[in-house]
Amino acid sequence: VSTPAAEREQTLVAAFVRLADTLVADYDVIELFHGLCADCVSLLGADAAGLMLGDQRGSLQVVSASNEDAELVELFQLQADQGPCLDCYATSTQVEVGDLTAVQGRWPRFVSRASEHGFAAVHALPMRLRGQTIGALNLFHRRAHVMPPGELAVGQALADVATIAILSDRSTREREQLTGQLQAALHSRVLIEQAKGVLSERGHIEPGEAFTRLRAHARGTHQRLSELARGVIDGTLDTTTLLS
Amino acid sequence: VVDQTRLSLALAAAVADNGPDGALAVCQACVAWLPMTGASITMMDGGQGQEPVCATDSGAARIDELQFSLGDGPCVEAFTTGRAVLVPDITDPAEGRWPVFAAAAADTGARGMFVFPLHVGAAKIGVLDCYRDAPGSLSDHDLSGALRAADAAIWTLLDRVDGRTTGEGDPNGSAADEQLDGSTLARAEVHQATGMLIAQAALDATTALALLRGVAFSAGRSIADVAGEVVARRLRLDPDGAWHTAGTEHDTDHVTDVPNEPMSRDEETPP
Repeated sequence: VSTPAAEREQTLVAAFVRLADTLVADYDVIELFHGLCADCVSLLGADAAGLMLGDQRGSLQVVSASNEDAELVELFQLQADQGPCLDCYATSTQVEVGDLTAVQGRWPRFVSRASEHGFAAVHALPMRLRGQTIGALNLFHRRAHVMPPGELAVGQALADVATIAILSDRSTREREQLTGQLQAALHSRVLIEQAKGVLSERGHIEPGEAFTRLRAHARGTHQRLSELARGVIDGTLDTTTLLS
Repeated sequence: VVDQTRLSLALAAAVADNGPDGALAVCQACVAWLPMTGASITMMDGGQGQEPVCATDSGAARIDELQFSLGDGPCVEAFTTGRAVLVPDITDPAEGRWPVFAAAAADTGARGMFVFPLHVGAAKIGVLDCYRDAPGSLSDHDLSGALRAADAAIWTLLDRVDGRTTGEGDPNGSAADEQLDGSTLARAEVHQATGMLIAQAALDATTALALLRGVAFSAGRSIADVAGEVVARRLRLDPDGAWHTAGTEHDTDHVTDVPNEPMSRDEETPP
């Protein structure tokens, strides 16, 4: 016998247990981020989620999204210039926009593009570490919606897991470690984009579909997403089965 | 703040120069506008191959030489792991990663060593190696500057890969500006296009990216712009190195011999 609330709680617990399990093993940070974005959609009822990291050059870059639709990724990336994600990153505070139409003047370019894609509400949650902000988690809803405190807390917990994932590798050389992990996450992202290109060309498919195939194959064969991507790019992996 | 602006200008000029001295100009910018005593750039491949490209002084050259003769050190580590190696003080006994190299490097007067991999996904091109004669970590600002210098170094090395070291400069100027705010390396389509060229012409990632930069340069367009054409399947590369612009994959209507002619856009084909 289970109530909807109890079911939801179970799903939530299961998600965090899975994340904890991932964090102790040798994990692929992009795979983990992708899972986190998917959790935002399934646990929080968001319609899309994206994760952006500061590139340590003064800009934000998309590293993961709940789906790899090129236009959605572009909408996240647009926030390197303006939008709730950038404000969240700059101020290290949650940015809640329950109704985008009310804030047109604040981020004109972002709001008009988000509306074109049918989004009505946006929340951005900071990835904080000891006084430093390393990125932001971005949640999009198709209907106007203010996330209640309980949902925001879950969202922030997911953002905190993402932060831990970047920094889990303990080291006395903390500064070097942070730079290494941040740059490695961005680097893995580049590898995956290159592999998507190879697969799109070979299979005559869209890059978003290429990502879906890549991820399914990584899961099916228990390989790390970035290693699989490397194999696709350098030709050591036969892409026939992946594309069939 | 002033130094960061000047650094950006110096880096933009180094990339726009598009000549054989671009890499050295990047190293000189690191010494001029970041707290570095010397800097060097080395091209490396996956195996044992390495080619010193430039060094600002004999100390920087000696540090490179040492690591490659020992086969160990921060450069080798940065290249192999793809991660920046930031050593506040190479003479610190707690820094035990490369004991032999550390002892030899200390003789050159180097204390802080900061090495950045020049990698773009699967394209592993080399390393930017900076050192200074005083110990200490880099500030956030200086680290940011050094990472941007590494981005610039990537573009100058790609020009060498592509063999276009004409020194004639960027024909339209704006393309280089666009590359240096880091935005080009953040564009998904640049990397997707690299992947598509790898598949189209059986290239490695470094060559594919160099050709993308090359064709953009020749056409006076930005890399992101040209990459968008590749991803939209309006521009493709044959295994023999010829670029095709086409409305659709099946409708190749003319071949452009880049870099002698700028490529033309085909707007007339229906989507």
